[in-house]
Amino acid sequence: MRSRSKHVKLAEGLARQEQIAPAVEACYQALRVGEIDPLVYCLLAELMLSGDFYDEAIFAASRAIELDSGCSPAYLALGLAYDRRGGMWDQSILVWHELAEVAPELVTAHVQLGEAFAATAFEEEAIASWRRALELDPKEARAMYDLAIAALKREGMATALPGFRKAGELDPSQDALFFTLAGASGDGQPTPVLSEVAPERGSRLEAAYVLAHEEDLFSAAELVRLILDEDPDDAETLGLASYLYLKQEAVDEAMACALRALTLSTRTPTAVYCLGAAFAKRPGLSYHAARVFDALAKLVPSKPMPYVLLAESLLGLQRYRSAGESYRAAVNLDPACVRARFGLAAVLHTEGRHSEAEWEISRAAYHDTRRQKLFWVLYDDYAEGRA
Amino acid sequence: MGDDSAARLYQAFVSQDPAAAIAVIEGVRDSSSDKAKLFDSLFAPAMAMLGGAWAAGVIDEDTFTQASVVAEQVNSFVTPPATAHDTGITVLVGSMHRDVHSIDKNVIAAALREAGHRVIDLGVDVRPVDFFERAEETGARMVIVSAQMISTARAVSRIREVFEAQGRDDVIMLVSGGPFAADEGLARDVGANGVVRGAESALRLVERVARERFAGSER
Amino acid sequence: MPARPVDSVSPNGDSDSAAVSAKRPRRNPLFPIGVNYYPLDSESEAWDDWYAGDIAGDFAAFAKARMSVVRVFVSWKMYEPQVGQYSEVAEERLLDIIEAAREHGLQLVVCLFADDRLSDLLDVLWGKRRNPRSDEYLIQREVALVQRIVNRFRAERSIMAWDLANEAFCNGFSSTEEMRNWVETLRDAVREIDPERPILLSIDPETLFREAEIDAFAALQECEITVSHATASYRAYAAAGPIDSGPSTYLESFLLRSAARGMPVLLDDVGVHSLDYSLAEEAAAMRCALYSGLMNRATGVLIRRWRDLDTERREPYFLDPFEVLVGVHDTSGVAKPAMSELLSFSQVVSRLDLRRYTLVPERTGILMPAERKEPLPSLAGLFDPRACLEAYVSAKEAHIPVKVIHEEEPYEHISVIIVPSAFSLADQTWEHLGEWVQGGGSLILSYGGGDTHPVVRDLFGVEFLGDGGSRRRVTCRVAQPDVLGPLTSFDATLDLPAFALLGQGGATVVATDAKSSPLLTLHNQGQGRTVFVAAPLERALAQGRHRVPPEAIRSLLRTVYGAVADAAGCGGPLVCDTPVVEVAVFSSDIDDVVLLLNHSAEKVTAGLACERKVATIADVRGGSPVDVGDTSFGVPLGPNGAAALRLSYD
Repeated sequence: MRSRSKHVKLAEGLARQEQIAPAVEACYQALRVGEIDPLVYCLLAELMLSGDFYDEAIFAASRAIELDSGCSPAYLALGLAYDRRGGMWDQSILVWHELAEVAPELVTAHVQLGEAFAATAFEEEAIASWRRALELDPKEARAMYDLAIAALKREGMATALPGFRKAGELDPSQDALFFTLAGASGDGQPTPVLSEVAPERGSRLEAAYVLAHEEDLFSAAELVRLILDEDPDDAETLGLASYLYLKQEAVDEAMACALRALTLSTRTPTAVYCLGAAFAKRPGLSYHAARVFDALAKLVPSKPMPYVLLAESLLGLQRYRSAGESYRAAVNLDPACVRARFGLAAVLHTEGRHSEAEWEISRAAYHDTRRQKLFWVLYDDYAEGRA
Repeated sequence: MGDDSAARLYQAFVSQDPAAAIAVIEGVRDSSSDKAKLFDSLFAPAMAMLGGAWAAGVIDEDTFTQASVVAEQVNSFVTPPATAHDTGITVLVGSMHRDVHSIDKNVIAAALREAGHRVIDLGVDVRPVDFFERAEETGARMVIVSAQMISTARAVSRIREVFEAQGRDDVIMLVSGGPFAADEGLARDVGANGVVRGAESALRLVERVARERFAGSER
Repeated sequence: MPARPVDSVSPNGDSDSAAVSAKRPRRNPLFPIGVNYYPLDSESEAWDDWYAGDIAGDFAAFAKARMSVVRVFVSWKMYEPQVGQYSEVAEERLLDIIEAAREHGLQLVVCLFADDRLSDLLDVLWGKRRNPRSDEYLIQREVALVQRIVNRFRAERSIMAWDLANEAFCNGFSSTEEMRNWVETLRDAVREIDPERPILLSIDPETLFREAEIDAFAALQECEITVSHATASYRAYAAAGPIDSGPSTYLESFLLRSAARGMPVLLDDVGVHSLDYSLAEEAAAMRCALYSGLMNRATGVLIRRWRDLDTERREPYFLDPFEVLVGVHDTSGVAKPAMSELLSFSQVVSRLDLRRYTLVPERTGILMPAERKEPLPSLAGLFDPRACLEAYVSAKEAHIPVKVIHEEEPYEHISVIIVPSAFSLADQTWEHLGEWVQGGGSLILSYGGGDTHPVVRDLFGVEFLGDGGSRRRVTCRVAQPDVLGPLTSFDATLDLPAFALLGQGGATVVATDAKSSPLLTLHNQGQGRTVFVAAPLERALAQGRHRVPPEAIRSLLRTVYGAVADAAGCGGPLVCDTPVVEVAVFSSDIDDVVLLLNHSAEKVTAGLACERKVATIADVRGGSPVDVGDTSFGVPLGPNGAAALRLSYD
């Protein structure tokens, strides 16, 4: 049982603020004063990884594990370092396997283990790992993307594409796109009470967006109805109605509302999005979906998600090269877009560029763990457990 | 297409009459020169009418739902097929003898199949004579051989030798795999007619070969 | 290229071969044609007249008719008049037969235990009516008899095979196990003396099961050759109706395909069962069966009998499933038209070198469900074989090289499986089918009624919502034209026993009923594809056979089967525009031989289209080649007509 020294806390604080150089210096200072603590080596490994110094990260993480074989954040850093360094998949498998042993409920450990297996052509073992991850968390999108890639390698794109779309639906960024298009972030606003919403269009629509964001679809629908009762030709409201139906898997109703909205105004971005999303659910409508998402990408060229959606529709049309270009556009806009990275990996596989595909997947893994702040979750759990 | 066909389709939806909806679609399909555009020209306007009627309160929520069910039931009549029509072009696909790499082969085979070609996947580690025998059996005149190792890539020449020895000079052999992508001369050396660089490249090449070499002779 | 057999001829009948032909009848050693040579030809003869006729004369006639195999039937009653004492007369007569065979270059199949319903072959005087199939003492005596005969003639080269028993005999077994034990015992008895010569059991597993509920599979595994034949009662069960059109004309080959199971199959008992057919009908049936055998990989054919049985004291139309009445000559020995058919067929066969010409491999299988062996009240045993026959006919009409496979068998080298209207398949079968489709197989399954197996959802991409019950009409509305061949919408009257109500689960709906309930769906699953037919159409066709089956439904089935087989690369080697004409292509390195068989009683002209330009066509039996210079050509065929054409290419 030991608590963190002030040197460690200083290094930790700097690392959390992503001040890499001072944080590294603080770690070495801690080591110089005799703080031979796995936490220090953990931090050092994470920092080295951030700077793409893989060998140093491997050394530091290994040292942390030597000091304490239960140091889960060190395994994470070590595994990611091995994966990104490349050519060390055997070691990578062992590390992720260890992490899965040390933290059996850690979904990412199983996902990563699967990816390491896949990179060494142990496809069956890889699939078993991803299935285990999905047992732990049925909404683990990365495991589903990985399974889609596995299906691609065995059975081609027609089997893989539904997997990408299914995984994409679990990805909150697609819904986020709708609210961005609507100009309604939804975040941080108090939940409206229906009876207190002012009886005019603007208030009702704003409240409906907030309710939709919180997935209170029926209350949102009530407000939509009130607006439409006063003006059935309100295109934006029809766009929201379409979204609400989509969320209830009522694709035809969603299509009807979106088409009506676009009849009224072709430049209703929310309706364009909903129409594309409805088309994307029909395998035969890939061409229609691509047309719609292409228009959406032109409407909002700074958002990565329309490019991803366009790319998926292009995959359905067997236009793999164009899909790759669209995915690259998405990755350029947001390097942490896991969905685009996996999509790009799929395209690269169709072009026979398998090592580049693996690289994209390992980049996706890195960004995904960063997005989840997984290192810090494990770090804090480990530090607390030790205390 | 009659001007009122979308309205009649909309009416069939609202009346919850799938038989009438099918009759409208079949009527338009039989008289239309462009069957591929049924979705845009007929179904989408009818759906827009449905959305408009719901928005205006002409039909209630229940009717909207029921009408949508009918639309769902008949959408297969207006949606383009997810799988392309049979092109009648038979392509043999396989990995070279002593080569067990399968990903390229699988991805290419699936893409060609999705495009409507008749793909015979011979698997991995396929002997040259097996390519010939299946070509004879199926009448295939196009073969795609995948090889990922330099030794197996060089050995692809044996397939060409077998075909030539049996008088089948007409068979088009395309090759795929890292060694061929890196060195186009190798493809020429083994007697290949072209190098496939992934699924889309395979689609383009097969279609080109079919157009230029087999035009009118495939069943 | 393999060497040609000495007694085959060149494609166009060159003069050297013709000279040989004048000296000695040509036969094809790879496709023997034979005859069942029964001991008695008249009901007025007694059991001890066993082969008392003109053996030498008959064998000379067999040889002249290009026969190469003769099956003869041992009479135990004649051979062992008293326990342990064997008749010299019987042995001499058997020796006469063997000598006659040797003299004319004929091979013998010696059937050791047969019941021919006339000659009392098994009714040993000292048997005291004990059962020769189960009584231990009698079986001991049977072993002794068999070993005596086999020992006596084992060095005799004119004996081709030992036939343990015929189906009339096996029909008397009371259980599968009893038959298996008997076969094992007798087989061991033969093998002890003669370890090499093939052993066969002349039963057709399907007809025997239908008649006696005995599963002969295990017993047949003890043999090297199997046989197939259509018994009178099986024909009445499975293919009632006119004898000169489908499905009756397909029955022989269907049973042949079903019996094969990886073993060589002799097509046995070729010819009609009853004397009430006209001579023309006899000839047509003979022609259909002979060509069906050759076109469907029989290893040879045996005609039912040589000479009509002279029936004196009873109705000639008396029907017994194992009675053998009709030959190719009348009772006075005059050749009937069926004999001409046999001679014509012999000429074709003698000119087809089966070492050089091979049939296109069959990669489509009609799956015979194991449930058909379940006893009542399961209805599967009643309906499944008929539904499978209907599916087989439809596949033939689509000109797909097709075979019959069994649920419990591995699906080696099969690319398309058709499961026609089965009530249920075993869990293990579903598992295998799932893996097989995932790996690239194409599966067509029609709903058989009741609940579907849980894997149907993923395998076919459809949500099963329940059985919509029976219908009197089949309506088809084509949603996706040309996805599964050139389908057209139709309304037809046909009693459907069930109709699966389906929800969307990812499959493409290719056709629906009038109210948009899916009738036909297509789903890509893994590397394979699956087609679900929402109604048991094959079973409905079989059940509705008393009426003329709606052509629209036949057309639907053959279109779907053909489209799936074509897309899987295992369609017919050439295109034929006439569904009722069966086509088989024997290919060689140089040229092809195309056999055509008209399964209707009407004249037709079959339009054929090849991939390569055909230079000339010639009748296989000889004659001048006709110039074609095109990829397509027409072949006129008479009612139930057959043609064997040699195609050479530019």
